[in-house]
Amino acid sequence: MDAYLTAIAIVTGIYVLLALGLNLQYGLTGLINFGHVGFFCVGAYTTAILTTKGVSMLVSFPLAALLALAAAWPLGMVSIRLREDYFAIVSLGFSEVVRLIATSERWLTNGVQGIPGIPKLFSDLPGGQAQAFAVLALLVVLNLAAIAAMWRIVHSPFGRMLEAIRDNEEAVKALGKSPAGFKIQVLLLGAALAGLAGAVYAHYIGYVSPDQFIPLVTFQVWMAIIMGGVGRISGALVGAILLMLFLEGSRFLRDVLPFVSEVAMASVRLGVVGLALILFTIYRPEGLMGSHKRP
Amino acid sequence: MASAADLIELMLSGLVSGLVIGLAALAITLVFGIARFANAATGDVMTIGAYAALMATGATGSLALGGLAGILAGALTGMGSYLLVFRKLEGRTSVAALLASIGVGFVLRACLGVAFGHGQQVFQLPLVRPFRLYDIRIQPNDLKIAAAALITLALVFVVLHLTPVGRRMRAVADDPMLARVSGIAPKSVMLALWAIAGATSGIAGILIGIKTVVSPEMGWEMLLPAFAAAILGGIGHPVGAVLAGVLLGVVQELATPLVGFTYKIALAFVVLLVVLLVRPRGLFGRIEGVR
Repeated sequence: MDAYLTAIAIVTGIYVLLALGLNLQYGLTGLINFGHVGFFCVGAYTTAILTTKGVSMLVSFPLAALLALAAAWPLGMVSIRLREDYFAIVSLGFSEVVRLIATSERWLTNGVQGIPGIPKLFSDLPGGQAQAFAVLALLVVLNLAAIAAMWRIVHSPFGRMLEAIRDNEEAVKALGKSPAGFKIQVLLLGAALAGLAGAVYAHYIGYVSPDQFIPLVTFQVWMAIIMGGVGRISGALVGAILLMLFLEGSRFLRDVLPFVSEVAMASVRLGVVGLALILFTIYRPEGLMGSHKRP
Repeated sequence: MASAADLIELMLSGLVSGLVIGLAALAITLVFGIARFANAATGDVMTIGAYAALMATGATGSLALGGLAGILAGALTGMGSYLLVFRKLEGRTSVAALLASIGVGFVLRACLGVAFGHGQQVFQLPLVRPFRLYDIRIQPNDLKIAAAALITLALVFVVLHLTPVGRRMRAVADDPMLARVSGIAPKSVMLALWAIAGATSGIAGILIGIKTVVSPEMGWEMLLPAFAAAILGGIGHPVGAVLAGVLLGVVQELATPLVGFTYKIALAFVVLLVVLLVRPRGLFGRIEGVR
């Protein structure tokens, strides 16, 4: 039971990291990033490829964040000035292209089979449970650092500028500021966080394959921040916990309803994510904890 | 090295798939022009059409009846999504509707996944031997698919340009407020729009299903090329969407020997990006203040 709870807490921690990044982008700045899973994927594959070739995790973790950031940079440069819904489509396309590359470039990513045998984090600790606790501790530290950084950003002139861009981009332009530069910085920051989340994920799960990085992951994170409350740090936390309760709850539901196959359950999960997106957008766009009306 | 005949065969195949992309892009561009948001559920409405046609064909043994069922299912799904979801989001930002449309797509795909599983299915059609014309192999099925696509396009344009409801739709697309003060009731126009967009998507789905296979993910995989074609053609511009779809289909087929099968979708993404950067109003679109 302990092992199970730790496992859930670890996955929740990974989702909180993803949600914090997206919350910075969408909640604070109004950037519609539909390609979050793309950066998660870049981070996961970076560390998977490097560590299975013998590179130390101390090197591969920063590189995972850096490469995710580097992948976001050209995307931001070419498309950040687009209208917000066009940017949404382009970023969605970006994440699909990342997945296509992971599927097709077999020399690098081993294609659809993916990369197995990624070394576990803290493997010198005795016992699986101790390792899991160490991973959890690492995630807590990473999340606290990210939350502290978010808090600093929200309460800085930079953060006020981001909120101004979200609320009225034209007014920001009229004041002589360039929203595009700020938006690119936010895109890069969120991407780096997602890359880091991907690295932890890859080492925790132990293998990566392209079908772990489908757009559904992006929209699960969207569901988390919309449920929790857009534009709030607590919202990302609460939303990720709710998301996890739902994902795990659906697993228990399968124990209660054994006639539902695992494949059908995957469809049910997809449908519930879709339904949550619809209902929250229509009836409670500010989320459960949110204060700000968006979109 | 590909011979001239191979190249022409690729181009013909591209033309056919391009016409189908054009149909999907037409559905997207109509909704964008009139309801003013990018409808990401378009792909999954296509899948609904394909499955409805597959089931009805299996039950009745007639592809024509199956096709009608698919068209009807697409139209009803479109109208249902408007009545249940998008009507409640009128007056909100286009982003709210876009996010909800992703949700609608997920729900539709989930229903199909639960009902039919994730396996691939095919239309049971008699195999027809391709015939040769000057050394070029032509698939009779491709000809039929192209004909069906062209007939659909012709019908949509007849409705848009020669019927009162089409005129009202174009009026709303031009200027919603002016249309409203001129006494055009938004709800009936919107219902007509969603019925047409849904039916068009349904037909596109059926044709892809006939050309390749039917699976719950088939429509979602067509979404990016369809968006690319809609934007390339100039968003809200029906003729442009169709021509851009054909262009994209041909380019995709011709590039397949060079970049491989899997990167077809990536090509659509590149086209999308280049268009947005170089000419955001598309090939035929009106100049807009924002992009």
